[in-house]
Amino acid sequence: MSATHIADTGFFVALGQPTNHRYRRVRTFAERNEIVFLIPERVYEELTEPASETATIDIAIEEGWVIVSESLDYTVPLVSKTMDGVQRYIANADERPEDEIERADAALGGLAAKVLAEESASSVYIYTPDIAAGEGVETVLGSQGYKDSITFVNAFQFIDELMD
Amino acid sequence: MSRSTDRATGDVVREFLSVADLLEEPRLAQLYAYLIRDGEATVQELMDTLDLPQGTAYTYVNRLSDAGVIADQSETQPISYMANEIDLTVTASDGTREYRITPVLIDAVGRRATDEDIDTYIDRHGIAGLATAINYAVDRERGSVTHRVMARDIDISPLAAEIILQALRPIVHEHYDIEPAGASLDDVVAAEDLAVDDETVNE
Repeated sequence: MSATHIADTGFFVALGQPTNHRYRRVRTFAERNEIVFLIPERVYEELTEPASETATIDIAIEEGWVIVSESLDYTVPLVSKTMDGVQRYIANADERPEDEIERADAALGGLAAKVLAEESASSVYIYTPDIAAGEGVETVLGSQGYKDSITFVNAFQFIDELMD
Repeated sequence: MSRSTDRATGDVVREFLSVADLLEEPRLAQLYAYLIRDGEATVQELMDTLDLPQGTAYTYVNRLSDAGVIADQSETQPISYMANEIDLTVTASDGTREYRITPVLIDAVGRRATDEDIDTYIDRHGIAGLATAINYAVDRERGSVTHRVMARDIDISPLAAEIILQALRPIVHEHYDIEPAGASLDDVVAAEDLAVDDETVNE
């Protein structure tokens, strides 16, 4: 089974425009390794909100190295359990009530859970600059028995290292 | 007790006014931030590093020196200058809001001349807004908030929050000790047996 690579809004913001070196370097890496980054719907919405100048993400999708996931099925126990857990983790990180945490923050975890529950990949990587979200997904899915399958990748570190 | 409270009121007012100048003039802020980061420098070094004309460099140094936010370090020529640490807490007149003016804030303001994202953010949210964003940027790098938490708290779009957090990230890393977190490229490459080619991507 192959790996699934899930990326957050900040990963694409850090890449900049398609003419940017960082964008092209990551695209080359993805194409060379036949990686297609999967993004939750909410991430796509954030990246294409009306205020954004150009939807770079649409170009990446057209180029074939990014794909938007289907809607999450909350009736899958692992999905809902993971999303609740991640929401709680982020709330605890800043000592605030859970209802102040956006469901979108948990969507990365929900998508990772979906992939693992469907057994469509044996390992899942989450690329985000939001450490609280990345560590939250790792912790929650780790406690569900997926410790060896889930990895939070620091988006900035990953891109910087690729640029070296 | 903080530095500002144990000094005479006149000094505090004088310092506040000079700090207000720093926040209004990105080039002045840039010079102060350079001294805070790099320790000390002569006027010539400031001219070279910050690409300032000689007259401007001397004017800036004299203004900051008169205001007491920088001090000369030696009697010998050429004189080198060092920044004094600034930490002022500004409270809004209704007493409900306050923010701190720190070297980090001054550094961020100094970068508006060269960073479009910081410049745009200040235009929209003011210096006080930038001070708030810096707090979120520090907390984000330390893993206690996400860009979405910030967006929700201050009612901006998640994308706008992400953009300013990324613009402020280098400043946060220069002024604070941030523990690295998460896996690296090498970890992913090793685990999945991936190829990292070094070929330059064609234009």
